[in-house]
Amino acid sequence: MIDPVKFVLVGLLKAYRLLISPLYGQVCRYHPSCSTYALHAVEVHGSLRGSWLAVRRVGRCHPWAAGGYDPVPAPRSSRVHTGPSH
Amino acid sequence: MGDLLSTIGTPLYYAISAIWLAWHRLFDLLPISSGWSWTLAIIGLTITIRALLIPLFVKQIKSSRNMQLIQPKVKELQKKYGHDRERLAQETMKLYKDTGTNPFASCLPLILQMPIFLSLFHLLRNAADRHPKGFLDQADVDQISGGKIFGAGISDTLTHPDNTNVVVLAVILVISMTATTFITQRQLMSKNMPADAMSGPYAQQQKLLLYVLPIVFAVGGIAFPIGLMLYWTTSNLWTMGQQFYVIRNNPAPGTPAAQAKADRDRAKAVRHGHGDVAVDTAAPAVEAPEEPRQRQQPKRQTREQRKQSSRPNQPKKDQ
Repeated sequence: MIDPVKFVLVGLLKAYRLLISPLYGQVCRYHPSCSTYALHAVEVHGSLRGSWLAVRRVGRCHPWAAGGYDPVPAPRSSRVHTGPSH
Repeated sequence: MGDLLSTIGTPLYYAISAIWLAWHRLFDLLPISSGWSWTLAIIGLTITIRALLIPLFVKQIKSSRNMQLIQPKVKELQKKYGHDRERLAQETMKLYKDTGTNPFASCLPLILQMPIFLSLFHLLRNAADRHPKGFLDQADVDQISGGKIFGAGISDTLTHPDNTNVVVLAVILVISMTATTFITQRQLMSKNMPADAMSGPYAQQQKLLLYVLPIVFAVGGIAFPIGLMLYWTTSNLWTMGQQFYVIRNNPAPGTPAAQAKADRDRAKAVRHGHGDVAVDTAAPAVEAPEEPRQRQQPKRQTREQRKQSSRPNQPKKDQ
């Protein structure tokens, strides 16, 4: 299945990580950082669920949160094709 | 989509224009042109926004306060996972979480400022076309649209310059924005990064970006009106000052900034007449971050005292 939205999102995230993110240095209280998380989430879970996961992660990233190691959850079912797209 | 954005944006237009107008009323009391009054009001708006974000900043400082204490554990992890960058990052973050100490600010301050920046952008764009928006009425937008500083219109952009003054001022502002961002990043990297983080491919890439990004930044800045660039420059200046404060008072352990602070603290101890103590404290230069200097001294001395009691030939004055 072709997911053009996913394509655009991945492109935008990569552009952000290349051009804007380095301007501010590391600020994320989590590992992987929010943008890495978003990129990975969209790649693994597709544009819809991936975006939802990313938005929730950014919402979790604030000075009152403890931070820590917070990887993208594994796909819910095995029928989701999870081959490394890159 | 546009409707959705304007629904979210409308309250923001009102809020931002209200703050802007309030500052304008204040500066209007001064004998300056309306262009200058609106311009200074933009700087006032920036200061208001950044001041409102101070609680976030304070919270971040507090949560990074114990970095000194967990430093031995960080070193341990570096020794254990130094060969595996990913694993090291995971374990370090886990440690930050478990100890409630995290040196990073999160992206919230940035995310909160983005809609404010965009609102001001729209307000200025509309004012340039003499469209009232938010609390700005027709008289206000007429003033803003015709408002000039150094002969350059505050709602003009470099892509549609009215005259050469706009070009000159825009170029100066682009340079200022670039310079402030550059200095802030450079200060962070040269003073507040441990030497081992400064090597490796990641640091090399960051160093390269440090030189490349100001150019990207400048190109992006060209499309913004003079007033917005002023907002951005002021905000950058604030960030620079804020970071200067952090690096001076809460330096990351094991960095040149931490060394400088240790030296300053020692010099201070000597000045306050604890010369004999200073000799003792010279060895453990890495001490608790800051705070109660007066109370720390006796605590440290009693510990010395305890040690000294086994060596009776060195009497120390008890406080």
